[in-house]
Amino acid sequence: MAIAERGYMHWQGTLGTGRRPWRVIAGQAVRLAWKRKYFKLVLFGALVPAVVFLAGIYISERMEDFKEMFKGAESFLQTNPAYFQAYYGSSFLIFMMLMIMVGSGAGLISDDLRHNALPLYFSRPLRKRDYIGGKFASLAFFLLLLTLAPGVLFIMFKLIFSGSFKFLADYPWLPFSFVGWSVFLSSFFSLYTLLLSSLGRNRRYASIMILAVYFLSTVFFGIFYGIFREPAFCLLSIEMNLRQLSAAFMGAKPQFDVPWVYSFLVLSGIMLVSILVLRKKIRGTEVIR
Amino acid sequence: MNIELRNVRFSYGPVQALDGVTLQIGEGACGLLGPNGAGKSTLLKILLGFLRPSLGDGLVLGHDILKDSFGIRRVVGYMPEDDCFIPGLDAVAFTAHFGELSGMPRAEAMKRAHDVLYYVGLGEARYRLLETYSAGMKQRLKLAQALVHDPKILFLDEPTANLDPQGRTEILELISDITSKKDLHVLISSHILTDIEQTCTSLVILNKGKVAAQGDLAALREVRFSLYEMKVVGESGAFLEALRRRECRVETTEDGVIKVYLPQTVERRDLFGLAGDAGVQVRHFVKSRTSLEDLFARTVGVD
Repeated sequence: MAIAERGYMHWQGTLGTGRRPWRVIAGQAVRLAWKRKYFKLVLFGALVPAVVFLAGIYISERMEDFKEMFKGAESFLQTNPAYFQAYYGSSFLIFMMLMIMVGSGAGLISDDLRHNALPLYFSRPLRKRDYIGGKFASLAFFLLLLTLAPGVLFIMFKLIFSGSFKFLADYPWLPFSFVGWSVFLSSFFSLYTLLLSSLGRNRRYASIMILAVYFLSTVFFGIFYGIFREPAFCLLSIEMNLRQLSAAFMGAKPQFDVPWVYSFLVLSGIMLVSILVLRKKIRGTEVIR
Repeated sequence: MNIELRNVRFSYGPVQALDGVTLQIGEGACGLLGPNGAGKSTLLKILLGFLRPSLGDGLVLGHDILKDSFGIRRVVGYMPEDDCFIPGLDAVAFTAHFGELSGMPRAEAMKRAHDVLYYVGLGEARYRLLETYSAGMKQRLKLAQALVHDPKILFLDEPTANLDPQGRTEILELISDITSKKDLHVLISSHILTDIEQTCTSLVILNKGKVAAQGDLAALREVRFSLYEMKVVGESGAFLEALRRRECRVETTEDGVIKVYLPQTVERRDLFGLAGDAGVQVRHFVKSRTSLEDLFARTVGVD
């Protein structure tokens, strides 16, 4: 007999109360992003710089073998903080992170708003922070794949190919810098994306905003810096702030002579505003006033 | 009682949506009736803990609406009025997702999702993307996600909205099947009277944020309003006027039947006295069953 003909059947189980709903939301969002057209291509493309820098670490430990091939590039192939700053501060990496955010994050909240999914979520035992936390975790997962995962591999490769712990003895703070910067960068971009995704009900609009806000801030910096030659205008640009701060984390010299704390404050301010706006925008139900 | 509310008030800014609502809803299927803006959806949202009343308190299956909204959401399945889905998912993933969010283990949620999707008639379409679903399929899907965690009580907000007659009949059959289970209760908010009449045994009528009537549907029909159908011979104008003066609501049909709604202050034998005084003969007199439409019209004061 078909199930529909048997009538309604009860479920013989017990609902768990100790589960973490944010993990369910994050898992679903990751699976959805993974199913998207071109997303895998973008993600693997974004990992190309990490592979190149890993190869660089190998080559730096075998310079004798590659002497002819990399003549004149010895200074670049020295694995010191500046080497890692070149990876973490590279425009390509940040651009690919933006593409990941557009691909996996633009619709995270805007799609739910557009298709009225919030009442369904909040008719479950779910807090606002579970919902936001789940969406945040799904984005952070992909961004940490591009930042923290390569950082761990950089250190492992360096230790394996050098055959000693001298690198860690010289730069004992570097692993913490990798973790700290990866977490900060991923958190910033995740909140930035969620903020823009929550502002409308259209994922295309959110995608455009993610790219436009980022690049326009750099354009404004370029205009003002070109006119006034004042390095402090770097604080207008998200990209420049990220570069200033990544240099500070990696112990490298920042591009502009502006204290990194200011960049930290600007980026932290954006994160704080994002959290406040998200708390206001995400409601279990539309309240008509 | 499954649901008890005491003096619940809620306002959207200056607009008073619920004004001192006190009600008790027992077992089985209960209809929540009212014209647009009566406060039906607001009441459901308060019961789910989406909105916090400015005054009053209440219980849903023993869970306090002010302090234990999580407890309520574990035992309640909610089917909202609007189309709700997550683009990019198929029905199985969608339904299982909400099962997991309710606290079901992932494997169990998947298995249960298949079962409820078959139950609501989406078995064949369960792997189709939700964006491709018709309005009727989306209604069924909303019912499936409300049932997936096997709730003790279902809140259905306009379950037959935007459905064609065939789809409406099928959804009502499903609801009737669900309510036939003694341990699964249903609260249906609707302004389609026949839906309520077909599926519910008790009723709450809201009007302008207040409870206009509540109780067992059959008893409400019997007790509150006495409807009689009459046929008279003679000039009926004076008779109808006399009835109206006694605050009876009078309707005449094309085939000459006079429908008289008696208020509690008028007895049926008075009708014969009034007929005699007006010089008409009563040739046909039967007590009519009050329809839900009559009850609703009288309660909220509309024709």
